[in-house]
Amino acid sequence: MSESFSRWRARLLPGHIVGEILSKSWIDNAIPFLLLLLSIAFFSPRIPDFFAAYSLEDNSRQLGELLLIVLGETIVVLAGGIDLSVGATFAMSTFASLGMFNALGWSVPSVMLGAAAIGAAIGMVNGLLIGYLRLRAFLTSLVTLIIVRAIFDALSLKYQIAVSMPDQKSAVWDFLGNGAWFGVPFSLVLAVAVGLLCHITLTRLRLGWHIQAVGGARRSAFNAGIPVGRTVCSTYVLSGVLAALSGTLYASRLGAAGSDTGIGLEVAALTAAVLGGVSLGGGRGSVVKGALGAIIVTIVQTSLLRLGLGSGASEMILGILLLAAVAIDVKWLKNRLKVLAKVYVSPGYLALPAAELVDGRSPYALNDRLNDVELIGLGEIEGPEDVILDTAGNLFCGSRHGDVIRFFAPDYKQWDVYAHIGGHPLGHAFDRDGNLIVCVSGMGLYKVTPQQEIVKLSDETNRSWLSIIDDSRMRLADDLDIAPDGRIFFSEATIRFDVSEWMVDSLEARPNGRIICYDPRTATTRSVISKLLFPNGICMTLDGESFLFAESWGCRITRYWFDGPKKGLLKVIMPNLPGYPDNINRSSDGHYWCAFVGMRAPAFDLALRMPGFRKRMVERVPHDDWIYPNMNSGCVIKFDLEGNVLDCLWDRNGVNHPMITSMREHKGYLYLGGSLNNRIGRLKIAGADPEWSGNRSYWHGGDA
Amino acid sequence: MRLNKVIGGLVAVMALALAALPAHAEFDDGQINKTRTLLKGKKVGFVPISMGFDLPQAWYEGLHRAAESYGFEVVVREANWNVQAGAQAINQLIGEKVDVLIIQPPEMLSYSRLVDKATAAGISVIQINLKSPNTGDVYVGANWTEIFKREAEGITAICSRDKGRNGKIALIQGALATSGSQIGSQALKEFFAARKDIDVVADQAADWDASKARAVSGTILKQHPDLCGFIGFWEVQDIGIAAAIKEAGLQGKVALVTNGGGEQKSNCANVANGNFTMDVSYDARGQARDLTTVVESLLQNKPTPPGSHPIGIYSPLTNIDKSNAAAGCWSLESVKRDGP
Amino acid sequence: MAGAREFPRSRRLTQEQIVLGLSVLLFAGFGILVRGFLAPDNILSLIQNVAILGMLGIGMTIAIVGRGIDLSMVAVMAMSVAWALSLVDGGHSVTLALGAGLLFAGLAGLLNGVLIAYVEIPAIFATLAMTSVVYGFGQYFLVHVDVAYVGDAVGWIRRIGSGRTLGVPNSVTSFFVLAGSVFALLRYTMFGKYLYAMGDSPQSARVVGIPTRPMTVAQYVLSALIAFIAGIVMAMAVDSMNTRIVNSTLVYDVILVAVIGGVGLSGGKGGVRNVLAGTLLIGILLNGMTMLDLPYTAQSIVKGFILLGAIVADSILNPRDEQTSQQGDI
Repeated sequence: MSESFSRWRARLLPGHIVGEILSKSWIDNAIPFLLLLLSIAFFSPRIPDFFAAYSLEDNSRQLGELLLIVLGETIVVLAGGIDLSVGATFAMSTFASLGMFNALGWSVPSVMLGAAAIGAAIGMVNGLLIGYLRLRAFLTSLVTLIIVRAIFDALSLKYQIAVSMPDQKSAVWDFLGNGAWFGVPFSLVLAVAVGLLCHITLTRLRLGWHIQAVGGARRSAFNAGIPVGRTVCSTYVLSGVLAALSGTLYASRLGAAGSDTGIGLEVAALTAAVLGGVSLGGGRGSVVKGALGAIIVTIVQTSLLRLGLGSGASEMILGILLLAAVAIDVKWLKNRLKVLAKVYVSPGYLALPAAELVDGRSPYALNDRLNDVELIGLGEIEGPEDVILDTAGNLFCGSRHGDVIRFFAPDYKQWDVYAHIGGHPLGHAFDRDGNLIVCVSGMGLYKVTPQQEIVKLSDETNRSWLSIIDDSRMRLADDLDIAPDGRIFFSEATIRFDVSEWMVDSLEARPNGRIICYDPRTATTRSVISKLLFPNGICMTLDGESFLFAESWGCRITRYWFDGPKKGLLKVIMPNLPGYPDNINRSSDGHYWCAFVGMRAPAFDLALRMPGFRKRMVERVPHDDWIYPNMNSGCVIKFDLEGNVLDCLWDRNGVNHPMITSMREHKGYLYLGGSLNNRIGRLKIAGADPEWSGNRSYWHGGDA
Repeated sequence: MRLNKVIGGLVAVMALALAALPAHAEFDDGQINKTRTLLKGKKVGFVPISMGFDLPQAWYEGLHRAAESYGFEVVVREANWNVQAGAQAINQLIGEKVDVLIIQPPEMLSYSRLVDKATAAGISVIQINLKSPNTGDVYVGANWTEIFKREAEGITAICSRDKGRNGKIALIQGALATSGSQIGSQALKEFFAARKDIDVVADQAADWDASKARAVSGTILKQHPDLCGFIGFWEVQDIGIAAAIKEAGLQGKVALVTNGGGEQKSNCANVANGNFTMDVSYDARGQARDLTTVVESLLQNKPTPPGSHPIGIYSPLTNIDKSNAAAGCWSLESVKRDGP
Repeated sequence: MAGAREFPRSRRLTQEQIVLGLSVLLFAGFGILVRGFLAPDNILSLIQNVAILGMLGIGMTIAIVGRGIDLSMVAVMAMSVAWALSLVDGGHSVTLALGAGLLFAGLAGLLNGVLIAYVEIPAIFATLAMTSVVYGFGQYFLVHVDVAYVGDAVGWIRRIGSGRTLGVPNSVTSFFVLAGSVFALLRYTMFGKYLYAMGDSPQSARVVGIPTRPMTVAQYVLSALIAFIAGIVMAMAVDSMNTRIVNSTLVYDVILVAVIGGVGLSGGKGGVRNVLAGTLLIGILLNGMTMLDLPYTAQSIVKGFILLGAIVADSILNPRDEQTSQQGDI
C-alpha cells in the first residue's frame, strides 16, 4: 500500500526540480523578484488606484530618483565599501543646481554638468580617503556626510531664498523634474539609461571586472596587480556623480532645497541594495539586483504613505524589511551549498523484478574462470574503463589522468601516451578509417586520428524543452558504437551528476540518462532515446539495423532499431539481470559479451522501493555513509539476442578483477578492464576463433 | 373575520410605513438640507507636519467631528517632519482628486510648486499655521510679524535701557527655513534695528529642539552672565531655554518671551511656574474652529477657478503672562473629549 | 622584526595622548582668546553640555570594544524614555514607568544582540535597521507625541539630571558615576576581560572557551541600558524628551566622541579613559566655538574636520594593509 503510494508520489511530484532550481545561477535574483511580486500582491488590493496612471507616474518618478542613488550605492558596495554620504551629496547638489539655475542663470545642460562636478568632487574626497589612504569606508563616508551636511546647512541658511526665489521659467528645466514621455517620467528614463550604462560597465568593461574583483577578494586582487586604490576611488566618484544627478532632478521637481533634504536617503539606498541581493561583503551584486531592491523600497514606502497608517509604521516596516533582507543574505551565503547538497538528490521509485539466484543451477553460477588472467600494465595504468585493439594488435585504453594509453603489441610491456584528451576517457571504438573515437566523461565525444591528432566531435546536443537542468551539455558520456553508415551512437549515463558523483545517481534511481547520435556526415548531434536508467554499454548488432544497450541501474539490456523496417522499436531482451550491466561488445561466435560492474543485493533493491527512506538518509546521514550498490564483485557474461546466457566468467576471489566494466575479444583472447582498477586482464578463451577481431567484424568483411 | 384581516393588513402597512420614516425628522430651516447635500461624500486631505504635537491634534478634532456629522471624509497623511514624504503625500492626494487640501508647509518654499499644481488640478488649497509665498485659496493662521512684534515689545518692556536694565537680549531661532522662523527673524531685525535701547548680543538657531536650545542658551548665559532676556521662537523648543536659565540659577532674573498654540501644559503651566515670562498664544483651538469653518465654506461654495480669490483668516493673538495664565489656555484632553 | 624605521613602541604616540595634547592646546588657546572661558562655572557648563554625549559614548564604547557598534542607541534612548514619561503623564507610578522604559530598552538591546550574535547580521546593519524599527515601533504603538514632557510627578528622579549638588551640576555627577562604574566593570570583572578578548580576536576567544555569543548579547543589552540612563538624565535636564533627535546626527556625534578618544574601531582597544578624553576635546571645542559666537553650522563643519583628522590619525597609528584587511571589514 505504502509502496504504491511511494511509486505514485515519485512519479507525479517532480521533486528533483527543487534542487535543480536552487543550483541555477539566477536563483539569487529570484528571491528579490519574489519579494517584489509579494509586495505588489499585498498592496494592490488595499490601495484602490495602485495601478492608476497618475499613481504609476508619481511612483516611477520617485523610483527614478531613488534608482540613480541606488545604482551608485550598488557600485560602491560591489567593490566592498559603503557610501553613507549620498544623502549629503544629494542635498548639496539640489542646492547647487537651484543656485546655478535660478541665481546664476545657467542653461540646463551646464547645470547638470556643474552638479555632476560637485558630486564628483565629494566622491573624490571619499575616494581619496578610502581608496588611497585606506581609511575605513563606514567612518569616512560618515565624516563626509557630517561635513558636507554642515556646509549645506550653512549655505542653505544664507542663500536659500536667493537660490529659490527668482524662479526662472524654462520648459527644459521643468521637464527634468516633472516631465514625462508617454507617461514615463524623465527621471525614470534617465535612471534606466544610466542603469544600462552601469550594467555594461560592470559586466563587459575592464573597470567593472576590476570592481567586482576588488569586492570579491581584495587581497587577491591586490596581489594580482589590480590597482585597488584607483578602482575603489572610482566607485566613490561614480556614486557621488549619480547622487548629484538625482539631486538635480529633485531640485527641478520641488524647486526648493529645505534643510532636511536627503536625510535618511543613505538608509533607503542601502536597504534597496541589500533587499535586491547585493552582498554587503562585496563582490556579489548587479544592476538588476539594485533595481529590484529600489522598486521594492519605492513600492513599500509610497504604499505605506498612501495607506495613511500614521507615523512610525513606514519606518518600522522598512527597518524590518532591511533586517530580514540582510538576515536572508547572510544565511543564504553561508548555507547555500549545504542546502543544495541536501536538496539536490531526489530519490525516485524503482521496483526491480526479483533477481535470479546465483547458485549452482543458474547460468550465472560462480566460478574461477578469471583466475588465470595475464596482467597488462599492473600498477602502471589507472582506471582503464574500456580497452580496444587496433589492426596491428596494439592495445588502447583510457586512464583517469585524461590519457589514452597505448600498449604495444605483442607483449604489451611497453606503453606510451597515445593522446592526452583530459577528463576520463571511457568508451572506445575504431571507425572505418582507423580513427579512435572516444567518449570522454565530462567532456564529450572525441576522435583521435592515426596521426594522434585530437578532434572534438561533439560536446553539445539539443536541449530538451522541459528540462530545468541545461541538458545540452554532456556530463557523463559513457560508451559508444558506430553504425555501418558512420553514425556514432553513444550513451550519456546521467544528466544530473558529474563523473565524480556518478554513484549518487544510483541512489536517485531516476531515468536521468539518454542515448545520443552524432552524425559525422552532417556534424549534428541529437538525443535519440531519453529517460533511461543509466545507459551504459552500446553494441551494434550484426544486422546493422539495431544496437543493444545496457541500463546499469535498470539491470536490463534493450535492443533498439535505428534503421530498417523496424526503426524506432525498443525491445527489452534481458529484463532481469542479477547485476548492473556495463559495456557490451561482440564475441567471435556471433553473440555478445557483457560486463557486470556490480551485483544486485536485496538490501539495496529494497531501498530502491523506498524513496522516502533514501531522502531522509541523504538529509541526515553524512555523504560517506550513504547506502550504495555493491560494486565489489562482478562478472562477464556471454548472451545471445534471445536473452539466453551462454557463458559466465567470475573472479571468485576478487584477486584481479573484482569489478569489471568492459571486456573486448580479440584474436582468441578476452581483454578485461575496470574503471577502478589498475591493471588490464588478458584471458585465453578456449575454442575462440584466433583470427577474429572487432575491426574485421565491423569494417572489413568479417561476419555479417 | 374578513374585517379583522383587513384591519390587520392596514396595521401592518402602517407599521411598515412608520418604520420607513427617519427616526428624527429634521425640520428644514431653508438651508440645512442644501448644506448636507453639498457636504456629503466630499473628500478633504490633511497633510500636517506631524500628528505628534498639540496643534495638529487640535485641528484634527475639529475636522473629524464635522466630517462625521456631515458625511464627508477627512484623510490624514502626516509628513512626519519629512519634506519629501509630505510632498509625496500631497502628490498622491492631488492624484486622488480630493476636494479640499489642507497643508502645513514645514519650510517656506518646499510646497509652493505643489500649491500651484493642486490649484491647477481644481483643488482648493488651505494652508494652516505656516504658509508658502503663494496662498492657494485660504490661509488660516497667525500673522507671524505681529507675533514677533508682540514678543519684541514684551521683551523691550522688561529689558530696555530706558527702563533701567542693560538692554542685552539673545535670539534663539527655530529651524531657519521654516516660514515662521524666517518671518520672525526678519521682523525682529527690523524692529531692533530702529531701536537704540536694546542690543541683540547673540543670535543662534535651535532647530525646534529643546535640548539644543538648552545647550545653546546655556553657553550664551555663561558668556553674558548679565543677559536680560531671551526671545524664543516656539514654546515647545523654548522649554530648553527655561531649563538653561534654571540651571544657571537665574530664574526670575532672565526674561523669556515665546509664542505657541496656547495649550495648557506647554503654555499656561509654564507661564504660571515662571519658565516663561510671556507667551504669545495664537489659540490653536480657535484655529481648529476657523479651519473647520473654512473647509465647510469651501466645500459648499467653491471658488471657480480655485486660487482666484485667496483670503486670509488671521488668528487673534493673546499675550499670556502671569496675570491671565490661570484661565488663558485650552486643554488638549478636553478638546479631544468635547471638540474645539 | 620591526622595520628599521619604525618608532619603538614606547615612543609611539597613542591617539589618546594626541587628543589630550590637542585638548590642552585648545584649552589654552580659548582661555587666552575668549573672555570668561576659564571661569569655573564655564568649565562645569562645558562638561555639562557634553555629559549626555559622554554617557552615550561610554555605552557605545562597550559595543565597540567587543568589535561591534551600536547605531540604535539614540533611538532606544529616545523611545524608551519618551514612553516612560508618557506613562508617568498618564498617571502611572514613577517606578512602573521607569521599569517599563528599562524593559523596553533592554528588549531592544536583546534583539540587537541576538541579531548580531545568532543570526550573524553585521553589527552596522543590524543596528542601523534596528534604529528604524525601534523608532517606528515606538512611534506607532507606544508614544503618540513628538515631545514627551516631564511632569512634576517624577519627583526625586529629576535630581539625576537637573540641579546642582555642592556646586557641581547633577548631570555631570551622573556622568562621572556612570563612567566610574563602567570603568570598574571593564577593568576588574571577568566580563570586561572577556569583552576585550572577544574584541581583539573573536575566533581565538571562541576557541579558548569564552561564550562569545551570549557575551555579544550582553554587550548590546548593556549599551541599550546605558542609553536609557543617559536618556533619563537628558530628559530631566531639559524637562522633556524630544523623539525627533533620532533623525538628527546625534548618533554620529557619539561615534565621534568614542573614536576621537582612541577607542579602536576594530575592537579590543580603548576604554572609558578614551571616551573621557574625546568628550573633553569635543566639549572644549563646542564651548569655545559657541563663545566665539560661531554659528551652529560653522561648528558642525569644524567638528567634522576634527573627526576627519582623528580617523586619519587612527589609520596612521593603526595601519591596515591590504594583506591583512578583512573581507567585508567596512
